Amino acid sequence: MASLENDQDTILRSSIDRSLRHPVMFFFTSGAAWLAVAILLGIVSSAKVHSPDFLSHCPWLTYGRVFAAHESALVYGWGCQAAFGMIIWLMARLSRQACRNAGIILTAGHLWNLVISLGVIGILAGGGSGMPWMEMPTFTWFPMLLIYIAIVIGSMVQFKLRPSGHTYVSQWYLMAALIWFPWFFASSNLLVRGFDGSPLGATGVNAWFHSAMLLMLFAPVGIGMAYYLVPKVLGRPVYNYSLSLIGFWALAIIAPWAGLQKLAGVPVPNFLPYLGAFATILFAIPAAVAGINLLKTAVGDLDTVNKSPTLRFTVWGLVFLMVFAFASVMLNLPSVLKLTQFTISGYGYDVLGIYGFFSFIAFGAIYFIVPRVTRREWLSRRLITSHFFLSLYAVGGIAVITLFGGLMQGVGAENLTAAWEDAASRVQPYAVFTTVAWCFLLVSNLFFFLHLTLMWLRLGRRSSHPTLLTHEHATSPHGPEGDIDNAGPAVH
Amino acid sequence: MNFRTFAIGLTASFGLAWLAVVVVPFFKMRDIAPVAFQEGIDPQSGIYHPKTSGRVVNGYQVYAENGCYQCHTQVVRPTYAGNDLGRADFAGIKDDPDRGDTRRESNPFDYKGLDYAPVGVSRNGPDLMNYGRRLLRAHPTDAEQYLYRRLYNPRFDPAVSWSNCPSLPFLFEKKEIMGQKSDHAVEGKVKEGFEIIPGPKARALASYLMSLQHDDAVPASMNYAPAPTNPEG
Repeated sequence: MASLENDQDTILRSSIDRSLRHPVMFFFTSGAAWLAVAILLGIVSSAKVHSPDFLSHCPWLTYGRVFAAHESALVYGWGCQAAFGMIIWLMARLSRQACRNAGIILTAGHLWNLVISLGVIGILAGGGSGMPWMEMPTFTWFPMLLIYIAIVIGSMVQFKLRPSGHTYVSQWYLMAALIWFPWFFASSNLLVRGFDGSPLGATGVNAWFHSAMLLMLFAPVGIGMAYYLVPKVLGRPVYNYSLSLIGFWALAIIAPWAGLQKLAGVPVPNFLPYLGAFATILFAIPAAVAGINLLKTAVGDLDTVNKSPTLRFTVWGLVFLMVFAFASVMLNLPSVLKLTQFTISGYGYDVLGIYGFFSFIAFGAIYFIVPRVTRREWLSRRLITSHFFLSLYAVGGIAVITLFGGLMQGVGAENLTAAWEDAASRVQPYAVFTTVAWCFLLVSNLFFFLHLTLMWLRLGRRSSHPTLLTHEHATSPHGPEGDIDNAGPAVH
Repeated sequence: MNFRTFAIGLTASFGLAWLAVVVVPFFKMRDIAPVAFQEGIDPQSGIYHPKTSGRVVNGYQVYAENGCYQCHTQVVRPTYAGNDLGRADFAGIKDDPDRGDTRRESNPFDYKGLDYAPVGVSRNGPDLMNYGRRLLRAHPTDAEQYLYRRLYNPRFDPAVSWSNCPSLPFLFEKKEIMGQKSDHAVEGKVKEGFEIIPGPKARALASYLMSLQHDDAVPASMNYAPAPTNPEG
């Protein structure tokens, strides 16, 4: 009986994977292409900080536009698409239903790429709105909202029709992100672009939106995915399951208040920046709960963590989550906030959140999901290892250097005995480092994109031995050899 | 946890914060009550009515679309939040021959006329809240001409050769010289008989930047650091 059930289970899982093959591969591959675009724009913009005459004659490549395009490509081109791919796959798997609207999702995915392309070209052509993270021209936001609904509506239906019984914590995280994103995205854009408010009111909503993208879209999707991957690949239960639910509710209660700390000292009602700073500090609680809970699960079997591409990325993503939580506390202490409020450390914080924490978990998820939906194994251990080490050092470097550089910049600005030149020139060495690090990330992402494209073309290995980061043919952490879909004892 | 508890919990936790820090403040801030000068305390009387001149709306458009806000802020924070009042000329003029110490914090009226307050992201460049005032002080007779030359090449002035501000040559136009040279022509590589003059966008941007003079006297009730030159305050 048990083996019959096991077989049915395997058939169900592979039918879910097959139903999602095209949309999931589309989101991951086009997301990786956008990541390459974002990195190229990041190199150009960072180079301009220390060499301002680099490519300065072309209006399309002036610093302000390139930097805005870099952030938009990173957030909406890569980040959102990686999140979409993870959401639709994980929700289908956990709700145990094949996808019934793959065609709609795929069409919507193409449209998303079209709108983001127009938006990024719009910024470069001089149509930017001037609002950080909302720079894409006004015509983009409403189509983005509709496309988003077309992509995820199926996942919400799947959740509604899930088999009765236990609902895993990842599903709550994904459902929360699915509800929060349209709520804050639509209301922020509507208030800022559609209503005639006060200029400072619009700036406040924009600051809140920026924080919400990080804490209420990327954080829940990343954490939810990690709650699936770590126990799944290790075949071990979560260290403390009830703690994971506490972490979820802590995030739900704290995250919506964060964001307005960007307006400390700006003439808005005083409680807004204070609440924002306090909530951002408190964000360390849900982040640390998820991070510690999953790292505790992982330390039980570090050998597997080291061999599995999925777990290497995911576990380091969780380490970055802990650093992100630490930075949330440090940057928002009143004495530090006044130093770092208007410095490059804000950028370092964003990179740490998107590229350190979220993208590492997304890479981990991609290394897990792609062999399952394409039914091929990753081609090269070396490509994965190069991707991992280059990303780890470069992202870690950018985060540390910009956070620290921002602090130094702030100390320079507060030093009234020195001329402004002193504060301004403090940015230079950190910018040089950032340019070099983005170059490393470009190489790293080219490896990744090449590998992913080969997989998309179904040129992966026709084997049932998963590609592991080890030299010997060890026993597979993905379960007994010969069955790609058997990922060890099911956790739930 | 079932879906019902989840939905109620999520709506309540998000909705409360959403109302409290986003929706209600946004609509509350729409109508700022006018502030009056008080007799006996302020040297002036009547309602505080900040004046701005210049092409604020068009100029801000150019400022926004070229991403000036990525490196320049526009806010003078109170001392608890930062040392902007102490930084030379950020907040006003410390020793203006006519008006004394004009330094003050920003107030909501400073962003009048805009749809979005360009508070900014990072201070890779200096704050611009009183940039127009600074320029006029440093270059009393040719502030606008100096500004055009800075926009065309931010490093032309040996005093700021360290600047990493991007140049904006694409806002300027090449034009054949007909008779006299144009007023605002800037130096640059150009054929004999031609000159480089600011285009419409450069003119709008310069006009906006010149309008950034937010150090007028505010009612004492709004001024948290009254200048010592105000004997009654």
